[in-house]
Amino acid sequence: MKRAFLGEFEEVVLLTVAILDEGAYGVSITQEIEQKTGRAVGFSTVHTTLQRLEEKGFLSSRMGGATAERGGRRKRFFNVTAAGRKALQEVKQVRIDLWNALPPQTLQLMGG
Amino acid sequence: MFVPPRWADLLLKTFGHPDTLEEVQGDLLELYTYWVETVGERKARWRYILSVLKLLRPLAKSKSTEYPIPFFLSPAMIRNYLTVAWRHITRNRLLSSINVIGLALGMSCSLLIWLWISDELSFNRGFKEADQIYFVRQTSGMYTNEYTPGPLTEALKKDVPDVEKATRFRSWTDDYLIKAGQVAAKEVGMYASDDFFDIFQYPVLQGSPVSSIKSPNSIVITRHVAETFFGTTEAVGRTLQLNNDKYYRVGAVIEDIPKNSSIQFSWIVNLSVVEEDWMKNWGNNSFSTYVKLRPNSNQAQAETRMKGLPKRYRSDITDTPILQPIGDTYLYGEYVNGKPVGGRISYVRTFGLVALLILLIACVNFMNLATARASLRAKEVGIRKVIGAMRSSLVGQFLGESVLLSLLAAVLAIGLVIGALPLVNQFVHKQLSINFFAPTFWISMLFLIVFTSLIAGSYPALFLSAMQPVRTLKGALTTAPTGAVFRKSLVVFQFTLSLFLIIGMLVIGQQMHYVRTKQLGLDREHILWVPVEGALLPKMETYRQEIQRSGAVVSVTTSGALPIEIGSSSTGGLTWPGKDPKDEAFVYSMKAGYDFAKTMNVRLVDGHDFTSPDSGARYLVNESAARIMKLKNPVGTEISYQIGKGPIVGVMKDFHLRSFHEPIQPLVISLYPKWTNYFLIRTRPGQTDKAIQVAEQVARKLNPAYPFSYHFLDEDYEKLYRSETLVNTLINYFGLLAILISCLGLFGLATFTAEQRKKEIGVRKVLGATVTSIVGLLSKDFLKLVMIAILIASPIAWYVMNQWLQNFAYKIDIEWWVFALAGLSAISITLLTVSFQSIKAALVNPVKSLRSE
Repeated sequence: MKRAFLGEFEEVVLLTVAILDEGAYGVSITQEIEQKTGRAVGFSTVHTTLQRLEEKGFLSSRMGGATAERGGRRKRFFNVTAAGRKALQEVKQVRIDLWNALPPQTLQLMGG
Repeated sequence: MFVPPRWADLLLKTFGHPDTLEEVQGDLLELYTYWVETVGERKARWRYILSVLKLLRPLAKSKSTEYPIPFFLSPAMIRNYLTVAWRHITRNRLLSSINVIGLALGMSCSLLIWLWISDELSFNRGFKEADQIYFVRQTSGMYTNEYTPGPLTEALKKDVPDVEKATRFRSWTDDYLIKAGQVAAKEVGMYASDDFFDIFQYPVLQGSPVSSIKSPNSIVITRHVAETFFGTTEAVGRTLQLNNDKYYRVGAVIEDIPKNSSIQFSWIVNLSVVEEDWMKNWGNNSFSTYVKLRPNSNQAQAETRMKGLPKRYRSDITDTPILQPIGDTYLYGEYVNGKPVGGRISYVRTFGLVALLILLIACVNFMNLATARASLRAKEVGIRKVIGAMRSSLVGQFLGESVLLSLLAAVLAIGLVIGALPLVNQFVHKQLSINFFAPTFWISMLFLIVFTSLIAGSYPALFLSAMQPVRTLKGALTTAPTGAVFRKSLVVFQFTLSLFLIIGMLVIGQQMHYVRTKQLGLDREHILWVPVEGALLPKMETYRQEIQRSGAVVSVTTSGALPIEIGSSSTGGLTWPGKDPKDEAFVYSMKAGYDFAKTMNVRLVDGHDFTSPDSGARYLVNESAARIMKLKNPVGTEISYQIGKGPIVGVMKDFHLRSFHEPIQPLVISLYPKWTNYFLIRTRPGQTDKAIQVAEQVARKLNPAYPFSYHFLDEDYEKLYRSETLVNTLINYFGLLAILISCLGLFGLATFTAEQRKKEIGVRKVLGATVTSIVGLLSKDFLKLVMIAILIASPIAWYVMNQWLQNFAYKIDIEWWVFALAGLSAISITLLTVSFQSIKAALVNPVKSLRSE
């Protein structure tokens, strides 16, 4: 099977889920991204991306217990699946390979 | 805790994806609280709403199911639907063509009726500023007269401030000879008063009709007159001779008068040229009057101001003028107690209903055949459902198929209509045509197609899509009782409608026959009439004597009006000994010459006819008139009426004056040969041709300037019932069409049943059933349905036809045999239709039908 492509925002979301570990659900992911990246992200965008990632098999989800602050509604917690982890690794590897391929003078110019 | 906007929440609940609704709602609520705390409530609300909107389903792509459902209108699915539909249409060509032909017939019928109706509705509505133009009638409260006295026009202008302009013209048109140079031809025209063109602003080709009509020496002509006589529309300033008498200068040329106008003329001259003293009399109602109200006025206000107007001028006239918008005059021409009660609009409604009924019958065919074939398609539906078709996509598919068939039928229907239009135009006396460039046409076509496909396709779509795949795949549907019951009730419905139309057809036909053949009291057969023109008027008596001498003619009389157009008038002028001054009886009046009763074959109860050389005031009255005058011995009594004081010379047996819609009215005929418009000539039976020859020879001799023309009186009587004849003819066609369409459907159903019961028939035959018993078995089911239809249709039809007959003062009784005949014909037609298929099925060799498995 052809490897599923991971978009930039998908990658960010997937990573955030991995960071948050057990506490990853819609709100926490949105807020985490906002804080870490400093960019305003819409909830709907995050939600749709989560759905898509689950569909691609990079995330799995389960429903948590009900909490009063949400009007008795349950949270859907997300976990990174093995495939998800593999995909993240691959993306990271691709980046590292690309960085390594940079000529040293260019690297110097960039201040690295 | 903060509460987000409720409507957004509701929106989310309704349109959000149900699978993730719970956590999304929860997340958003949490976020909302967070947003309120960090960025304030206003921004929080804004973000919340934005998030909700983005999560609504048509915007948010959510593919949360494991097996995604393709959108049911995706191109691939549509292609699949079309392929499957086309396969079904071609697989069973007979049933499909029955479907399409039935629908096309029904559609072309409704299309034709739609054309007719829109033409009727357009009548008298084309005038500029039509909302300010009103037709004036006079009402006594009980009787409403569409003709009004001459002086009314000026009185309205003078006394009613709301009236800006007023015009009148004589209630009849004149068919006069026009000569210009070498060209001579007869053209219909009229005389109207000054304001005519101020009110009716026809498109002008040359000159100014408004100023031209005010001069007694000029004439306004229409385009075709200008082209006939002068070969050009630039005819202003040319002269022509009217009626072999006066010369007129053409003052203006206007466009031809459109067909959908009640006022028809080819030339028009100022009324003052022909106005006689009696026309200036308040007691004589012989004008059509129109007014134009000021823009700031309205009908109610104007009517209040003109209440009792004639009384101010002549104390004995209590009638009051009332107004009707010109657009309504054609369709709402009947008045009862001074209020419009309808008129032609009832025909418009009737035909609209008929169009709908026929379309329904055709749709029922479609539904019937589609449900019958449902069992064949049950497997297809089952498979589709198992593979994952939603119900909506199945509904879409079946509706799509009916749209496809309707489209096919619509194309066929337009073709049929184009083919049939010349014929139809001939007998509705109209110039209907399809205007392919008019958006209204396409809108109505679209409406027709959508309507038909929705009605026709709704049942199969809902019924088939509701089937459970497990049952259908097991083959349970072939004997499903619900479909059969529905099918049966559809057949009953269809036949009820058809029977209704057949019964209507029979009753209307009978009434029309009655109207045509009933003894009127005067004999309309063998009567020829010749208009009195030119030199014939002074030489009238010579003409009469001369043709009377020929053997072909029984007798000749002269009259001011044809017996069918006897004018009405109030008793204003009629007085008799012992008359109560307050008496308000209403009599019809007519002026006639010598030998009237003899020529018209009117029986005299007492006294004698007008005979030559009587002179001075003489009157003939009918029995009704004698009755309202309460005269014991009418003959010899001196009464005074239109021509002065004189004796009643004879009492006529009552005869029908106008149409059978009206009861016989009192009539007073005055002897007044001077006021003559027509010769009425009674010919000897079988010698009509010779009589016409003689009448023509003598006319040419005495009146060489005029071409001779003649008409038959019975034809004019036919015209009285033109609308009824039209209804009669149309209902005959429609009745036949309805039956035809129903039979098409029945034929299809019979084919289908015979096919389905092939095995059963085979088994029965093997066990010893005869062909007759099998035919009986197959036909019985259908016969039962038709019987039920007869039972339902008869009372409804009786009620409706009885209502229709109320329109006639003289009418037939609806007899039981009408229903029997209708029922019997329906049964025999059913048997004929069904038996073809059942005999075919019964004759099949059982070996063949049982072998296949």
